[in-house]
Amino acid sequence: MPALGAEVKNISKKMGAATALRGVSLQFESGRVHGIIGPNGAGKTTLMRCLAGLLRADEGEVVYSLDGRRLSSARAKEITGYFPQEPSLYPDLSCMEHLLFFRDLYNINRSDFETRSRELLAATGMAPFAARAAGKLSGGMYKKLGLMCVLLNRPSLLLLDEPTIGVDPLSRRQLWDLIYKFAGESMTVIITTSYMDEAAACAKVHALDEGRALAAGTPAELRARFHTDNFADIFLQNG
Amino acid sequence: MSVFLRRVRLIALKEYKHILRDPFTLAVALLLPLLFVLFFGFIIDLDYKHIPLVVRDNDQSPLSRRFLRQLSAAGYFDLAPAHGMLAAQAALRRNDTAGVLVIKKDFGKNIMKGDFTAPARAQLLLDGSDNTKAAMAQAYMTGALLKINADFTRLYHADAAAANPDALVRTRFLFNPELNSRWFIVPALNTVIIGFLAIVLTALTVAREWENGSMELLLSTPVRAAEIVLGKLIPYFTLTLFDVLAVFVLSLYVFGIPFLGSFVLFTFACCVYITGALALGLVISVITRNQQAAIQFAFAAGLLPSFIFSGFIFPVENMPLFFRIFTGLFPQRWFLSLSRSMFLSEASFAALAGPMAGIIIFAGVMVFAAVKKLKTDVEP
Repeated sequence: MPALGAEVKNISKKMGAATALRGVSLQFESGRVHGIIGPNGAGKTTLMRCLAGLLRADEGEVVYSLDGRRLSSARAKEITGYFPQEPSLYPDLSCMEHLLFFRDLYNINRSDFETRSRELLAATGMAPFAARAAGKLSGGMYKKLGLMCVLLNRPSLLLLDEPTIGVDPLSRRQLWDLIYKFAGESMTVIITTSYMDEAAACAKVHALDEGRALAAGTPAELRARFHTDNFADIFLQNG
Repeated sequence: MSVFLRRVRLIALKEYKHILRDPFTLAVALLLPLLFVLFFGFIIDLDYKHIPLVVRDNDQSPLSRRFLRQLSAAGYFDLAPAHGMLAAQAALRRNDTAGVLVIKKDFGKNIMKGDFTAPARAQLLLDGSDNTKAAMAQAYMTGALLKINADFTRLYHADAAAANPDALVRTRFLFNPELNSRWFIVPALNTVIIGFLAIVLTALTVAREWENGSMELLLSTPVRAAEIVLGKLIPYFTLTLFDVLAVFVLSLYVFGIPFLGSFVLFTFACCVYITGALALGLVISVITRNQQAAIQFAFAAGLLPSFIFSGFIFPVENMPLFFRIFTGLFPQRWFLSLSRSMFLSEASFAALAGPMAGIIIFAGVMVFAAVKKLKTDVEP
């Protein structure tokens, strides 16, 4: 299946008394790795939840397109994989039990599961830990397991909310390698991060601050536009 | 198998794993019912026996002593002689006795005469500060006197009808001939166990998923609300049904309670009642999304109706009109009525139809509410 494209059109969202998103419009072209950067409280998680169909925008809309055709939110949800920022796995279930659970949840046939799980376990180096409970994994391994669970369905749109937060530098590198291994023509990746150095690894960067979209472009375009090599300067100049 | 059923089975299997790996949940689910049965079946006994009673025998005749021997043999009273009325009153003040029985002079002589214009007299003074105990003691005394009167009439040829017109009225208690309170309480235990335990068990399950963050990941998949609700209900349903059947077996073989109704109908009623209670727990869990709040709501929703509004301890018929109607909202009231009827009488289906409809409607409404209230998003 080809990669899924998404367009956020002027969405606003209030979370309680606070306004998390204020008229944000962003274009996520299919088949690319998009990075959403911004400090804490910028509205990244709210935006990701809107893209995952877990929050409804108060104003505006999210439009999904597959091969140039508009797709309903319900259909898009079936081919979207989302891994939240907060711990969201079952601490008492082992890695393999998680994979089997998501296999049945996504209705993946046994032969496809065998191939994909073997490939994912090898790529993440998690094969020796397949029987270990998620609650007993290190931070990096926990994130890798989460990523494996959502990648098992070969989603056309992969949403990763701060997957590298609290992860050691080596595991961060491995996670990025994994993302690039699967990203491409059949998978669009949208990843949020508050590590500015990770923005350079994305094909397109979207800067978000205080619920507003500040800028979007390739890393080179943003460097040229803001005359800086450090993406943090975008927010400092805006402040 | 359809995708729907496959996902329901998947969620149920996952839930089974959580239960089996969580010793606390397992202990609560399996040990709590046994504790309930032991507590209510053995410890709480509304039949007062061996009530201490001080006796002042002012007659000291062979007949007054025979009367006291027969009274003591009935087993309800432990008699202790008092040397003078002052000692008897002191025993009452010290709370050493539930009452004082005073036998008047000429007690024996009047019995021998058999003259109803000059009956044998005795006075029973009871400590009214515990009105339940006093009422029970009075009832036991009346019962014992009826029997002793009959014996004395037979032995001393007195005119029974003249001496005691009440003795002509013969009371017979149906379904529970000895008015054994255990027969009354044990059949109601399933009502309390399900009505409380089932709600608490499921009240934690969805709230726990919200708290450990797994609900957000689960809801991002194509899984539907009905699949989650049914998947969550099934493991706790089997666990609670096991509890109910364990209590049923204990009721029959440990407490010796008769079961005269239809076992098939009883099992069906249990299944419906369990489903309603579990679904109510889910509704609480879905709304609160927080284990602490869920458990507090579950205690309120489970304990109050099970103990107060069900008729378990306080008869619904004696409640004011508003509460008689209000208790109808709670399935505990209907199931308790079903359970007692099916244990102790061969009630017809027509007699059980009303309460059965009550629990079926409640279960249906609760399952519908759980599915409707379980949002498939993370909106607050």
